Amino acid sequence: MTVGLNAFILLAGLLFAIGMLGVILRKNTLVIYMSLELMLNAVIIALVAFSRYNGTMDGNLFVFFIITVAAAEVALGLAIIVALFRLRQTVMVDQLTSLSR
Amino acid sequence: MTATQSLLVVLFAPLLSAVLIAFFCRTRHGLASAISVAAAAAIFIFSILAVSVSGIDTVHASSAWLQFGDFEINKGFFFDGVSKTMLVMVASVGFLIHVFSLGYMAKDPARGRYYAGLSIFMFSMLGIVLADNLIMIFVFWELVGFSSYMLIGHYMSKDIAAAAAKKAFIVNRIGDLGFVVGIAYAYWHFGTTDLEVMGQIVGANSDMIHAGIAALLMCGFIGKSAQFPLHVWLPDAMAGPTPVSALIHAATMVAAGGYFLIRIFYLFPPEVLSVIAWLGVFGAVYAGFCAYARTDIKQILAYSTLSQLGYIGAAFGLGYPGIALFHLITHAFFKALLFLGAGSVIHGCHHEQDIFKMGGLLKKMPITGITFFIGILALCGVYGLSGFYSKDAILIAAGLGDPSIAILLTFGALLTAGYMGRLFWVAFLGQPNSEAASHAKESPLTMVVPLIVLAVLSVAGGWLGYWPEQLGGIIKSDKHILHAMEGYDAMHTKIIILGTAAWVIGLAISFFFYGAGAKEDRLAKKAAPIYGFLRSRLWFDEIYGFYVEKVQQRFALFLSFIDVFVIKGILVRGSAGIVGLVGICSRSLHDGNLHTYVYWFLAGVILLWAAASGLL
Repeated sequence: MTVGLNAFILLAGLLFAIGMLGVILRKNTLVIYMSLELMLNAVIIALVAFSRYNGTMDGNLFVFFIITVAAAEVALGLAIIVALFRLRQTVMVDQLTSLSR
Repeated sequence: MTATQSLLVVLFAPLLSAVLIAFFCRTRHGLASAISVAAAAAIFIFSILAVSVSGIDTVHASSAWLQFGDFEINKGFFFDGVSKTMLVMVASVGFLIHVFSLGYMAKDPARGRYYAGLSIFMFSMLGIVLADNLIMIFVFWELVGFSSYMLIGHYMSKDIAAAAAKKAFIVNRIGDLGFVVGIAYAYWHFGTTDLEVMGQIVGANSDMIHAGIAALLMCGFIGKSAQFPLHVWLPDAMAGPTPVSALIHAATMVAAGGYFLIRIFYLFPPEVLSVIAWLGVFGAVYAGFCAYARTDIKQILAYSTLSQLGYIGAAFGLGYPGIALFHLITHAFFKALLFLGAGSVIHGCHHEQDIFKMGGLLKKMPITGITFFIGILALCGVYGLSGFYSKDAILIAAGLGDPSIAILLTFGALLTAGYMGRLFWVAFLGQPNSEAASHAKESPLTMVVPLIVLAVLSVAGGWLGYWPEQLGGIIKSDKHILHAMEGYDAMHTKIIILGTAAWVIGLAISFFFYGAGAKEDRLAKKAAPIYGFLRSRLWFDEIYGFYVEKVQQRFALFLSFIDVFVIKGILVRGSAGIVGLVGICSRSLHDGNLHTYVYWFLAGVILLWAAASGLL
């Protein structure tokens, strides 16, 4: 049996929703960050599925870009979070509100 | 050396002196006075040189100064007969007064500032004399206003001097407003403000004469020459040092108004001329009356100056600019003499200025006394002295033109003799009436010599026949016009008799009424209401004060209210307030919480999606 396009889209949508809810609801910066990555992966799944379905390589090409950018982003983002923790001894977003006023 | 080069030296020597003194000699008083007097001497020498080099030719040198598109302002000299005559007068009287200042200001603690002021005044005055267009005249006109302000306020720690300086400046501004509008109007009308070119335009087509321009330019004259109704500043200006009163407020600056009119005589239609004539006549008689109720020697002379300026205005208004110039020149000599004499008296009496506290000064200060008396005789128009010729010419011109003016001016001459007699008899004859007067002694040589020279000029200044041919051409031609008029001889005889009678009666009455060396004013004692009325000076100061305080000040408060509440409160602060309010609202959105920003971001995405899909 072959799995249809809709199943992939559904999976990607679910993953994206989980990531989104994580970003909105979780307070730990690290978890928010992981949720962001989850959303990116949801997009990758959708792109690969579309690429396969259409029989072109456009989507796959984008996936490589996204993976590269995400890798760079992880290196940078984790470094920022580490630096932030060393500075403020916390990574909880409800305590990082010095931008107010 | 060409005439233009000499004139450049004449104009810039005093400016250089003023700059040197102001920057380097504020405390080196001896050096300051030396520089200033040297500049005055240079002015005198190079003026004579310029006049002799140029002969009877008119020198008109002009070049561009500023250019904005089509509008060009020139700088240049227009050195004709009128300005030659005026230049020689200003240079000689100015030099003598500088020399006199050496003695009079010898103990003043701020001599440096004083001499800088004198030099900048000479620069500005000479600029007016030589300027070839209205805009340049206006620039120097304002500069004399500034230097007059500075010198009136020389004793600036005295409130009265500071107030008088301000008053002179502000009253002059009123006249200058008309003047500057007149210049703009003249430029618009003629396309130039050059004196010679305007003269040619008007000469070619007399329809170009415009009463509005003439009337506006007349405003400048009214302010600067202290004509009624802007005469109020001149008596107060006596708060300055006496040589300043002699130089600026008697001989030169106040005469500059008259000189300016003479330069642009061709612009004046008959109706404006008659306004000037009647303002002059009113001023001449009015000031004559006011002088009777003054006890300060300088104030009496100030009213005498106002009165004589009235004569100059009347002569001009009758259509004889040459005769106005003639009286202007002779008046400069004898009034400078009288003021310097008064300065010598004040110096001798240790700054006592009340004539009823003087008395007996003729014996204590013989040279001052005699030269002062010569000045009085010249002012009264005694036959043969300078004042006689010029005043006579005015009276004859009035008699042939408008007899009612002649009668009033002859009456003015009677008043003149009366108050000058009062001054002389009371201050110089009899016995000293105060400690200061009894210790008076003759002034030093630097003060006496200018008095003697000016006394000679006051006697001989009117002998037109002996004037060099370069000078006074316009005076001579105006006198010829008078001579050629019908009924001249009869009028001449009549005026000589009337004029002589006026001064004889005036001097005699004042002698018998006041008495030699009187201690108190007999008029004030016998007829207090009349004296009080004369002392009130027709309440002009009070009327102006009332106007300023009750009308102008209230209007200013109203404007200030509009400014503070409407413009500042509602418009400026109001618009800033709206921006601030928006700022406060949008700032409250920034709570620093990451999740809030995520929600805003989501809201933005939804909005964008809605807009993109056509839902909004």
